[in-house]
Amino acid sequence: MRKPPAILVFLGVCAALLALVPIGYLGLRLVEGFDKAVAEILRFRTLELLGNTFLLVVSVSLGALVLGFIQAWLTTRSNIFLAPVFAVIATLPLAIPSYVLALGYISVFPNFSGFFASWLVLTLATSPFVFLAVSAALVRVDTASEEVARTLGLGRLAVLRKITWPQVRPAATASVLLVALYTLSEFGAIALLRYDTFTRAIYNAYRGSFDRTSAAALAVVLVLITLVVIWFERRYRGDYLENRPALGKRLRVDIGGLRFVAAALLVTVGVFSVFLPVFSLISWSIEGLGVIDFIIVINALWASVSLAVLAGLLIGVFATALAIWNVRYRSKWSEFFEGASWATHAIPAVVVGLALVFFGANVTPWIYQTTVMLLIAYLILFLPNALAAIATPIAQVSRNLEEVSQSLGTPANRTIMKVVLPIAWPGILAGMALASLAVLKELPATLLLRPTEINTLATRLWSATEDLAYSSAAPYALMLVIIAGLPALALNARARKALSEVKG
Amino acid sequence: MFKKALGALVVASSALALIGCSVQDSPLEKSEITVYAGRSEALVQPLIEQFQQDTGISVKVRYAGSAELAAQLLEEGNNSPADVFFAQDAGALGAVAKAGLMVQMPAEILGMVPSSYSAADGSWVGVSGRVRVFNYNPERVSSVPDSVFDLAAPEWQGRVAIAPTNASFQAFITAMRVTEGNERTAAWLLAMKTNAVIYEKNSAILEAVESGAVDAGLINHYYWFARGKEVGFANMNSRIGQFRAKDLGNLINAAGVGIIADSTAARSFVEFLLSETGQKYFVEETSEYPLIDGVSAGIDLTPLDQVPAPEIDLSDLDDLEATLKLIRDAGLI
Repeated sequence: MRKPPAILVFLGVCAALLALVPIGYLGLRLVEGFDKAVAEILRFRTLELLGNTFLLVVSVSLGALVLGFIQAWLTTRSNIFLAPVFAVIATLPLAIPSYVLALGYISVFPNFSGFFASWLVLTLATSPFVFLAVSAALVRVDTASEEVARTLGLGRLAVLRKITWPQVRPAATASVLLVALYTLSEFGAIALLRYDTFTRAIYNAYRGSFDRTSAAALAVVLVLITLVVIWFERRYRGDYLENRPALGKRLRVDIGGLRFVAAALLVTVGVFSVFLPVFSLISWSIEGLGVIDFIIVINALWASVSLAVLAGLLIGVFATALAIWNVRYRSKWSEFFEGASWATHAIPAVVVGLALVFFGANVTPWIYQTTVMLLIAYLILFLPNALAAIATPIAQVSRNLEEVSQSLGTPANRTIMKVVLPIAWPGILAGMALASLAVLKELPATLLLRPTEINTLATRLWSATEDLAYSSAAPYALMLVIIAGLPALALNARARKALSEVKG
Repeated sequence: MFKKALGALVVASSALALIGCSVQDSPLEKSEITVYAGRSEALVQPLIEQFQQDTGISVKVRYAGSAELAAQLLEEGNNSPADVFFAQDAGALGAVAKAGLMVQMPAEILGMVPSSYSAADGSWVGVSGRVRVFNYNPERVSSVPDSVFDLAAPEWQGRVAIAPTNASFQAFITAMRVTEGNERTAAWLLAMKTNAVIYEKNSAILEAVESGAVDAGLINHYYWFARGKEVGFANMNSRIGQFRAKDLGNLINAAGVGIIADSTAARSFVEFLLSETGQKYFVEETSEYPLIDGVSAGIDLTPLDQVPAPEIDLSDLDDLEATLKLIRDAGLI
């Protein structure tokens, strides 16, 4: 085992310790009211919530995996027509906050609610995570071994299962982990669609009864569920495979008449995930244009964009350090700290926000209600989003190159700067973009921690919907979707660039 | 280690909270105050700007949901940057007051408002009133039922919307417990488990009744007026009405303010909300009821003393715990 550079360890440990602040806070609340917490967990209702949550998490994870994988495979490996267009459509739901997606559906179908509605909305909202991760991995798949397997008589599906899948598995499972944790911690859409999960119960405990002990007890259960999910992901992830450069010509698979079926499928998905919500937003926006104050919109836009960029950079630095440490200098410690940074990812943002309110007001008042505190919250909340995207490209940097560099006497730090980072750079940028996207859409922690009188597009959108003024809310939502669309399109452009290399 | 340090902090801050509770005779002079406002920015910001102009005191306002702000104040403990908490409902104010985080409201301010709209211990004061109403689609519901208890009948199955997590709904259930007893309340809630369609908040219920997703719902009156102002009253698909006189379904609630850190500026903010200017603003802009003598309700509103409301002291409504237990036992949250 090689010794990791100190700076990586330092950044990684910092990030993980910050992520543990909310867990420490939960512990404190539990200790305060232990009996009450136990009583809360032992309610029959908890079991019911557990069942609901389990059902939703498993079905959304599977749905997003299947949908994202199909979209990725069709647009990168098959000879489907208009592949670049379908790739854009598969990415765009990333730009639409899931509560906006839900609102879009409700404004068209007032009775849209319950399990199926929640499953549909969350599957559509999260499948881009899988699509992006899997298409990046598919592009780098070693097609030569696929061809060899074909000549040895394996069918298409068998090749997909035995040769292709193992190579994309780490990327796919990491993104499904994101999907699962996203579903666990989702509140906005779930509340609008009226499906009961743990996270909704946690919000209700705060809102209805200001009952911090019950909320903490439920959140601890959520952390335990998260640990189980992470354990499963680690177990089934498989090993990251190093990229072997350019082995043979890449060919798109001819799927013949199935192309039409596939295109129809992708069009249908696009209608439900992008066109319908955007159409509903645009029609509401036209109605609301008259009542919008443009100075307020510009200020909110500026706040959103600057916070997203700053947070993206910050998260990018920490995620890269943690990823290099854990992928290239793997040890028990690196695994522990990487795992710790994931552990809080399913805790609802309101709990993370309140933990930092408590910590900030009482321990670090000099940064409380400043941008610094808000950025720390974003780091805790969205580090895993970047981590999932950055680990794969770092793993794919050839170890030979690194060894050559070091054998020439270049120190480890410099090798990382000169060899690993430049090669993995596009992937790191993608990780930052994913984190920035999540920041743009974040609401509960932003409301609790933002500097007083600073408003983002998301908080403006919230206050407009609080007043039930859909028409004045829609322009903010539309603006949010357009702004978030930029990093989403950039992410897709990267996939398309890789696509052009695939054309045989 | 870390937990111990945090534990020590909690102890220290609750000790400080006890000190903070006592009444200060000579409040601090301040030229800037921070208000945590659980009310909608679009509705109350113009009034706050008026206050700044009139007094020269600058006000920083932090807008969020009342419940979230209450949770935030509870976490901040005695290190809160807030001077004043302006909340939608008695529940949120009560939670903060119960934690000993509010300063006693001066007697001359409490005296301006009928005591039933303020905290019994004088920790906060009501500033505007709202009435629970029956919101319905006239094409599907021919007349307002006599009593909210009638909604437990089988004919209402799947037709009426409620928001069990909403503070006003919970205040209404507490009132029901106080006047009708736990048993009758539990029975009504159980019937609602079958009959009611559950929504997150009042605005979502109104939206559902308007769009025809449900036939009727229980909401606060001003949501209906706000919507009427946005889309035009003639374009509204739903109506509002009251149950018969003294029915619990007509409960009157209040939005109120509490002082977190005492100062002359904080006091004058509260006084401004209860001034004629402030009260008229609530009447005209937010369609709420004034709570002081000498300001009359808007022309399209039934005067508060003529609203067929039950006689209930709002400060009895702190007893949320028992209410929540009933709502939970009925499986509604």
